[in-house]
Amino acid sequence: MSRRSESFRRSLGLAPLAWLAFAMYAVFLVYPLLYSVWQSFTNRSPLRLKPIFVGFDNYTEMFADDRFWMSLKLTLIVTVFVTVVSNVIGLLFAMLLNKNTANYRLMRTLVFIPQVLSGVIVGIIWNSMVTQNGLINVVIRNLGLGQGVGWVGTPELATMVVCIVVSWMTIAFCTVVYTASLQSVPAELYEAARVDGAGAISRFRNVTIPMIAPGVTISVTLCMITSLKLYDVLAVLTGGGPSNSTKSTAFYVIETAFSTNRFGYASAIAIFLLALTAVLSYITSGLLRRREAHL
Amino acid sequence: MKRSRLISVAALALGSALALSACSTTAAGGDKTEAAGAKLSFMVFETPALTAKFWDDTIKSAAEKVGGVEVQKVLSTGDRTAYAKQLLASNQLPDLLASINTGQLADLLVPYDEAWLKENFLIPDATAVDGKVYLPPVNSQAIPFVFYNKALFAKAGITAPPKNWAEFMDAVAKLKAAGITPIELAGKEAAWAASYPLVGTITADIIGKDPKWVQKLKKGEAKLTDANVKAALQKNVDLVKAGAYDPQALSVDFATANTNFVTTQKSAMYPMGTWMTGAGYIPADVADQFGVFPWPTDDGSVVVPITVGGTTSVNAKSANVDKAVAFAKQWSTDPKTQGVLVETDGAFPMLKNVKFSEYNAKVSPLFTAAFELATSDKVTRVNAFGQVVNDDALPGGVGDALGAVAQGMFAGADIDAFAKQLDDAWQKGMKG
Repeated sequence: MSRRSESFRRSLGLAPLAWLAFAMYAVFLVYPLLYSVWQSFTNRSPLRLKPIFVGFDNYTEMFADDRFWMSLKLTLIVTVFVTVVSNVIGLLFAMLLNKNTANYRLMRTLVFIPQVLSGVIVGIIWNSMVTQNGLINVVIRNLGLGQGVGWVGTPELATMVVCIVVSWMTIAFCTVVYTASLQSVPAELYEAARVDGAGAISRFRNVTIPMIAPGVTISVTLCMITSLKLYDVLAVLTGGGPSNSTKSTAFYVIETAFSTNRFGYASAIAIFLLALTAVLSYITSGLLRRREAHL
Repeated sequence: MKRSRLISVAALALGSALALSACSTTAAGGDKTEAAGAKLSFMVFETPALTAKFWDDTIKSAAEKVGGVEVQKVLSTGDRTAYAKQLLASNQLPDLLASINTGQLADLLVPYDEAWLKENFLIPDATAVDGKVYLPPVNSQAIPFVFYNKALFAKAGITAPPKNWAEFMDAVAKLKAAGITPIELAGKEAAWAASYPLVGTITADIIGKDPKWVQKLKKGEAKLTDANVKAALQKNVDLVKAGAYDPQALSVDFATANTNFVTTQKSAMYPMGTWMTGAGYIPADVADQFGVFPWPTDDGSVVVPITVGGTTSVNAKSANVDKAVAFAKQWSTDPKTQGVLVETDGAFPMLKNVKFSEYNAKVSPLFTAAFELATSDKVTRVNAFGQVVNDDALPGGVGDALGAVAQGMFAGADIDAFAKQLDDAWQKGMKG
């Protein structure tokens, strides 16, 4: 038996597994996605049997919908804030915790806890801190600093609280990514830089940053995606209020679909959000990868 | 080689079976094994009064009386109707649904037969949608009544509950001057409680004068940008401006609001549903510290915003419709079950053939006061705006808009913008 036919037979044996993976991908991802795209061109409602094709009406309505733009603005504000803050603080934490002793390993585990909590749990935890009689206001009152603050009572404060809470979650993820990246940097490079007279800042700029560049790409891109699709934390923490000010685009999709029964319109917004996420992720990861090559 | 291919093919078959089962259109609870009894899924919700034990006990009792059914609970999230739609979207609509807005989901439900309704209920068509009843009209609530703290009223020099809007605003001013938060508001609950003062005003001022007003909205003969709506919005803005609410009211959730009003007694008035008269909210031993009055009108006429409801709607596509209907009827007409709702949830019973004493419910003086007010011959009873599940149910999304507008009043006072926001939500909801 020739080597080529042996290889062919071996690959044929594994083919069903590949087909299985492909079938599951098609059923659970491609089909729902295509279905949503089709749905976005209809007026489908869960309460109507036969949807009617409406062409681009849903997309036209979306671009003229103040609520949609309001939700997109909030989404982008949260995305920019969370991506920047999480990565900066995550890198800082990673550098502080980049020691391989039991204490540091324990601290890294503690830092990672917010990432493994579900968004609902995070929402409940923070809700108990920011309500009128929550932990933060109780501390403020006990310190004699006043009656406390309505932390989610104004659009500005509520947006700030959302940004902080989501960052709290994603900082944990960034810390882990950067810790792994830092631990893969050969100690010899730092040693060589030190011998060449490089100070701490110079070593950070010329050794650390270039060596963790792949980690930056992963961390920034994933933080961005996490923020763009934000829903669960908002639903529990603020309920989208006050006055719709903390309803993200994903939140608006859910509300449109299940409160106003407009699956078609909700699908159009969801497809737009998907496209936006894909484009932003592609651009960001492309730019960061190009930067990796330069470094 | 052969074995690996076999394993691969088996894995493919298993994966395909799983995938197909995931795409199945069988409703939740659709796996019915008659030998073991019909399996029914029942979407329920928990509140401080309607606890897990309440549901377990009442479901067990009804299931035993019907026989041959096994009922599994599906716990709903906050917005029951929206959650039902989520389950519907994934072909998992339960066989039975508790207290959903049947005005929005009527096409999916089984109508109850008229003879049974007439035989068992005081107002058989109270929850009718296009002439059909999908939710047994078992009991009712007033949403909102204004509950007040007698001691705080006395402290502020208020000798009697306000009888009209002018007296109400005067009471707000006196309470404010006495350093008491005049009105408690669970302002963080955008989907419902935040809008209760607005619901009260619209119901009392507009529907009280024109009970067909919501129907006129639906026919396009009235709009949410009309002068009467703007006047109601203005009254609510005036309340905010008068300092009627705690400045942090939008950070107050329902549990905190209850604590502020009932336990720590920081606030003097609380516009809320009459479930507050149940032992699940205001315990009987402190209930006499509180009183109740209707949301005030300009001329002092008394308008009672009523919502009639029940618990059990039946999914028309249930694989066991007959059993589900039998269970729903049993659950709805069991005086013991309804007695618990009266005692803990302050429900006003509406079963036809059951005397109040037969519910065996221990009620507080506050319940009695609210019940007498709601059932008095001297009041005008109308559908509570946005709270009913009959023909006057609002299109989806309008309730959310009411909450958003109510919250928006803490940051601005643009009445035209608020009215437009409501009207936009109405137009969108009508497309759904």
